[in-house]
Amino acid sequence: MDRSVLLSKLKVIVANYSHDKDALEYFNESTDFIKDLKINSANLVDVVLDVEEEFDIEIDNLSMERMVNVSAAMEIISDKLKEK
Amino acid sequence: MIGNDIVDLRQARLESNWRRKGYLEKLFCPREQFWILEASDQTQMVWLLWSMKESAYKIHSRRKNWRAFAPLKLICQTLEIKGALVTGSVQCENITFFTQSILSQHFIHTVATEQFPLPPIKVNISGYNPMDTSYRNTEPATVSHHGRYLALAYT
Repeated sequence: MDRSVLLSKLKVIVANYSHDKDALEYFNESTDFIKDLKINSANLVDVVLDVEEEFDIEIDNLSMERMVNVSAAMEIISDKLKEK
Repeated sequence: MIGNDIVDLRQARLESNWRRKGYLEKLFCPREQFWILEASDQTQMVWLLWSMKESAYKIHSRRKNWRAFAPLKLICQTLEIKGALVTGSVQCENITFFTQSILSQHFIHTVATEQFPLPPIKVNISGYNPMDTSYRNTEPATVSHHGRYLALAYT
């Protein structure tokens, strides 16, 4: 999947949980889910579940541990898509 | 070192659906899930266990400079509920954290330490105003805010 497509799909998902709409404007590969978007930690699991549904992949616990920013999320999604 | 975590139950109800498929399995080990399913107030149990994990994570992440979303590495080991007061323990990578929680109709608040029995900890729970950062001058040992509440704890 094209990186910009992946990025835009991810943005749609995290927009539902972001408490900082300004930071969402500047959403990019170095955006941090908690520090920048102020996503509540209990909602990180929703991001993970939404990603699983959107891309029809399974995020294992080790991958989930790293999913605290956009770059890690993109890397994990790309890898899981390749495994399919 | 201490950690604290507050859950505004109204905010949690608005922003989280713990009954969502796959949700509990990603956050809680089988025994924790059993505690939730057996609880008379399941929602309260979800956020109690969550706040225990979060308060322990705050200590562990600071100490180890560890940043991860790894709720399944923080396992609630013991839990004793006496009215509105809960004492418990959380284990993470062979370190045990001792917790004390307060249950209220509106929020759940937990403090964690590595000491047992828990040292005296002063807790201050107030309304949260994102524009007001004056609480920083009071030099709290740990800060947590969620929804309507700001929780500060001092050793």
